[in-house]
Amino acid sequence: MTAALPNFEPVTSVDEVGELLAHALADDVDLAFEQVVRTYQDRIVSVAARALGDRQRAEEVAQDVFVRAYRALQTYDRPRIRKLRLRSWLYAITLNLVRNAVRGKRLRTVALERDDGSPRPIADSKPTPESQIETQTEWQLVGGAIAQLSPKLRDAFVLRYVEELSYDEIADALSQPLGTVKANAHRGLMNVRAFLEEQS
Amino acid sequence: MTERLRRCLDDFCANTQCTASPEFTSETLDRLGLADRYTTLESTIGPVYVAWNPRGVSAVRQADDTEAFERWFRKRFTRRALPATSNPAIVDDVRRALAGEDVKLDIDLRDCTPFEAAVLHKAQEIPSGHARPYAWVAREIDRPRAVRAVGSALANNPVPLLIPCHRVVRSDYTSGEYVFGPAAKDALLEHEGLHVHEIEALAKRGIRYIGQPEDNCFCLPTCGPDLIANHNPDNVELHSVDEALAMGLEPCTTCRPIAA
Repeated sequence: MTAALPNFEPVTSVDEVGELLAHALADDVDLAFEQVVRTYQDRIVSVAARALGDRQRAEEVAQDVFVRAYRALQTYDRPRIRKLRLRSWLYAITLNLVRNAVRGKRLRTVALERDDGSPRPIADSKPTPESQIETQTEWQLVGGAIAQLSPKLRDAFVLRYVEELSYDEIADALSQPLGTVKANAHRGLMNVRAFLEEQS
Repeated sequence: MTERLRRCLDDFCANTQCTASPEFTSETLDRLGLADRYTTLESTIGPVYVAWNPRGVSAVRQADDTEAFERWFRKRFTRRALPATSNPAIVDDVRRALAGEDVKLDIDLRDCTPFEAAVLHKAQEIPSGHARPYAWVAREIDRPRAVRAVGSALANNPVPLLIPCHRVVRSDYTSGEYVFGPAAKDALLEHEGLHVHEIEALAKRGIRYIGQPEDNCFCLPTCGPDLIANHNPDNVELHSVDEALAMGLEPCTTCRPIAA
């Protein structure tokens, strides 16, 4: 298991902006909240779109995330807001709402395929025609690999290797011990690698 | 394989990376009651569009119709303003301020540079019935050479009338540029009691200051409406600071005609 993939640690940074914003929120939620939305909206929409495979639905869920966050902040006292790890907190809310959005169905993580099996474009940038076939195949494969992971491996894997959160943040977002999220992210990675090897 | 996996993941991230739609921020803030809202209010120069948000008043503008105002607002602030659906306390405060009452208003100057904000705060200190030259504002904010930049900052005032940029005039006391036009600027100053044309005429004769031997001080001719209007026979027309100082007069502490 620990036969690792050297140099494969994603670059993760402390969410410095999040710390500054948490302080600003502690001073005045109403004044600082717009900046929170602007700072995290693209990430949150992306997370939701990857999970739901539907851009418009993803925006609705992302809006719900911010509404829920704002309502929660209004009930927190200042010291609690100041200590908030904003990025992982918003991810936690997003994961919950995405789960609600697909409740009763299998979580369609990266359910990005059309009925004919071709990838459904959700991103903003379209690949050039020359690279299109290869690129689509590759990210479609990764999407399939992620979709077949169990929910606990998938959450840890996606937060680590797609969203590039630190393990501390992931533990925070998933409310799980650090050791558990490290093990799950790693098992997810091995699993994805095995899946891709099978496909090639 | 490691290389391939890394590349696959990178491609996956790039291809599934989304940017929220341009409406996303405004729509979200609106759901929370935090978006800019606007309404029209009466003012001395006629109806104006007034926008606000939780930070305070964000814009005052004349426009042909709501569509034109919304278009301007969006271009200027890169966010959306929505028509008001309620009548919050700030609207009444703005209405009273536009009617000339002395009201303490929160104003949203987040899009201004620190220099612009300093200029606008200084303009806010100029009382009704008074006017000050551009160079005076530049000197007061410790940027005596930035007279032109003061003019630009005032032209960029997001909330004219509420921050009285119309009270800043040229050194020859002609009114100068104004967002609502020079005629509106003169009309506003007249409305506040300043005798614009009389002061202009004084400036044309080279009169820069008015000495008040009774109070042992000298002022800018625009130091309040009464200074010129009263035609006090004891007052003295002065061409220069040296002339005033030679008479033993002190600079007025209200209009501060020279640097402290």
